[in-house]
Amino acid sequence: MLFHNLRIAWKSLKRNRALSVLIVTGIALGVAVSTTFATVRHSYAKDPIPSKSDVLYYVRLDSWDPLKPYPGADATLPPTQVTYRDMTEIMKSNIPRRQSGMFKTALYVYPDPKIGRPFRETVRLCTSDFFPMFDVPMLYGSGWDRKADAGPEPVVVLSREMNDKLFGGKNSVGKTVRMGDREFRVVGVMGDWLPSVKFYDLTQNMIDVPETIYMPFSFLKPMQLRTFGNSDGWGSSGGLSGFDGFLQSETCWIQMWVELPDRASVEKYKDFLAAYVLDQRKHGRFQRPLNNRVSTVREWMRDQRVVPPETTAMLILSILFLGVCAVNLVGLLLGKFLARSSEVGVRRALGASRADIFLQHVVECELIGVVGGAIGLLLSVGALLFLNNWLKTIATRGDFFRLDVPMVLLSIGLSLAAGLAAGLYPAWRTCRLAPAVHLSLQ
Amino acid sequence: MEFGPILRSMRRNKVRYGLIVAEVALTLAVVANCVNMIRDARRQMAIVSGFDDDNLIRVNSRPFAPAFKEDGYLDNSVKKDLAALRALPGVKAASNTRFLPWQGGGSSMETRVLGSKGPMQRNQVYNADEGTLATLGSRLIEGRNFTREETESEALRIRQLFASSRPSGADGMPLEKISQDIIISKAFGDLLFPDGKALGKRLEDTDGDQYMIVGVIDRFYNPYGWPIHEYVMFFPNTARSYQGGAPYLVRAEPGRKAALLASIEKTLLAADGGRNLQIQPVSQIKERFQSRSSLMVTILSVVIALLLFITSLGIVGLTVFSVAERTRQIGTRRALGAQRGDILRYFLLENWIVTTLGLALGVVLAFGLNVALVSRVSGPKMQPGLVAAGVLLLWIAGLAATFLPALRGARVAPAIATRNV
Repeated sequence: MLFHNLRIAWKSLKRNRALSVLIVTGIALGVAVSTTFATVRHSYAKDPIPSKSDVLYYVRLDSWDPLKPYPGADATLPPTQVTYRDMTEIMKSNIPRRQSGMFKTALYVYPDPKIGRPFRETVRLCTSDFFPMFDVPMLYGSGWDRKADAGPEPVVVLSREMNDKLFGGKNSVGKTVRMGDREFRVVGVMGDWLPSVKFYDLTQNMIDVPETIYMPFSFLKPMQLRTFGNSDGWGSSGGLSGFDGFLQSETCWIQMWVELPDRASVEKYKDFLAAYVLDQRKHGRFQRPLNNRVSTVREWMRDQRVVPPETTAMLILSILFLGVCAVNLVGLLLGKFLARSSEVGVRRALGASRADIFLQHVVECELIGVVGGAIGLLLSVGALLFLNNWLKTIATRGDFFRLDVPMVLLSIGLSLAAGLAAGLYPAWRTCRLAPAVHLSLQ
Repeated sequence: MEFGPILRSMRRNKVRYGLIVAEVALTLAVVANCVNMIRDARRQMAIVSGFDDDNLIRVNSRPFAPAFKEDGYLDNSVKKDLAALRALPGVKAASNTRFLPWQGGGSSMETRVLGSKGPMQRNQVYNADEGTLATLGSRLIEGRNFTREETESEALRIRQLFASSRPSGADGMPLEKISQDIIISKAFGDLLFPDGKALGKRLEDTDGDQYMIVGVIDRFYNPYGWPIHEYVMFFPNTARSYQGGAPYLVRAEPGRKAALLASIEKTLLAADGGRNLQIQPVSQIKERFQSRSSLMVTILSVVIALLLFITSLGIVGLTVFSVAERTRQIGTRRALGAQRGDILRYFLLENWIVTTLGLALGVVLAFGLNVALVSRVSGPKMQPGLVAAGVLLLWIAGLAATFLPALRGARVAPAIATRNV
């Protein structure tokens, strides 16, 4: 029966090709535009680390100027990063299962002269917990251990890309790389790791690829490394200057992550932070109201406005666009079906029930929806290709906008819904016509 | 006029005409809001920096040779680089400054008028040498520029001062205050001194250090994460360090930029090979900064074009159907003496009424959608003129879409009326 209906529907579409092309084009454009913008927004908004997002927390403390809030769109939020002093103190807690303060810097890498000139590379300093905490896949070796954190031992983890560049993609564990003024031993090479947004550092360039080199945080002091990310300061320098002055200052420049396995440990950790801040207050710091944040990945993304507001505006507009296409379709289908009323009259007179007629027309609409949706999906693949290409001009990657499974399903759902929504009324009108009226026109 | 018959026919086909009304209304709402967003993006992109953006080149020297760790060597290298850059044919001016237009940020500090008890005001802050203003193409409207000697002596003085921590008093601020001469933008001067007399006045920062305004430039705009795009102070100093490198801005003579982009690296590496160079035209940095806005303009324009196309299709479809349905009726009217013009007018009028109803509804929707977008998401408020323009556009589009099918209707021969009865 369904096959029969489909055959009739296909014949009907072929009968008036020009009209069918118009109808299918309309629905294809609607699906293409809305799928594209839904995917754009989804690419920013989706969970960048679904395997761990329920146990990862980003830590912020309000160590800012007592006289005014940290500047930004939302004045209730504390600074986006923590100071070095606070990081070292709160890292002493053993409540988190894993934790890491982190920042990025730039260092010269000196490859084998046969490979090329020295080049400057962005390097992330973090603790050994970084790799298990963020489920970083490893191609060779592993991250370093906690002993290497304390040493600090000159160890380094490379991305697959950097390993390709320096060691031709071979297992380089145990080999050394010269960076800055010392030699580092490779302990691990990461597998492909590309979270949708660079959630662990949302202060800058949040859709860039992760850094290619990672080394123990404790090299901060011996190498006197400065952050190449944002650093926000306030108030008097207190006369402090130089590198130690910077570390002692109220400048906020470190991203702080903890892994807390359950609700109880989250509460315990929040209490710990509150106690820490109240204790610091006795020493004249933290004069603002208590405003610590232990934020989930999603909360942290929301506070940093990861989803650009214009993508939401575009999504709304594109849904209205699809609405226009559907309304348009209703009109065209109504015309198409009613123009065929004589044929319906013959079928009715020969014994087809209203339900048969109705079903047959709905099937035809769904066929239009499926064909239009498929073309629309292809068009949105093209549009996303264009957007990814554009993205290369402002970010280090060109695969950010991805049509993933949920978005393909959404697209199929939208086409079926549009076909159904647009087809129901015309199909109903057609099946309601009395056979005699149809026939009398002959 | 045929208002009567048209309205009666519309009442009999409420749904079909209602659909077009809805379609036109939604189209107007979406198009007006898209154009509104386009205009906002265009306005952002039209802001001028006050600099010779098109002829500026960013040159970043990033040393790796250990010799650069020594202050004297670094200073010497900056001096040699500047001389080499200025000697290149086609270079109008060159400067050693960390300021980089259009990178979407920079560095900032807080100051206030010396002696005022008011709140601190945030402003951008960069080093400058004697060539910075000439390189940027900024015009000094009051006071003086920095000199080479001043830049070098200030660099030495500041370096010595900050070589070690300064003793601080009970208020936590350094006991010994320093003073520096600065050049500021007019906008910053007007903010601090509404009477417009900024020259010769002093500012203080959060350490109580002082800044004396010795020069004012006409325009400065550098987009920043905080709303301080037009507020800047330049202080005389060199910009160089082992880890941060030495940044330069080079201003090319008109038409010489491409040649310079190709020759600068070779020239500077010949002077000292213990480093890498990063060379980029400022126009490219600006394009990158504006790329989100320009992409918005492109996308929204495509959406508008597609939407107008779809809506026109809908109107064409309605008219074709209307004509087809009424072929015999038209034949009858023609047989009874109606002219082709009468038939054409009938369909045009019918569509005009439907479109106008849709537009009336669309005006309400356009403003409603805008209010929702502004309050929930973001964006500029709707300009009433835009909605008016949209109404005009859709009127024309509606009539144009009706015209051909209606013309076909008007060509129906009177004899049709006698067939098929």
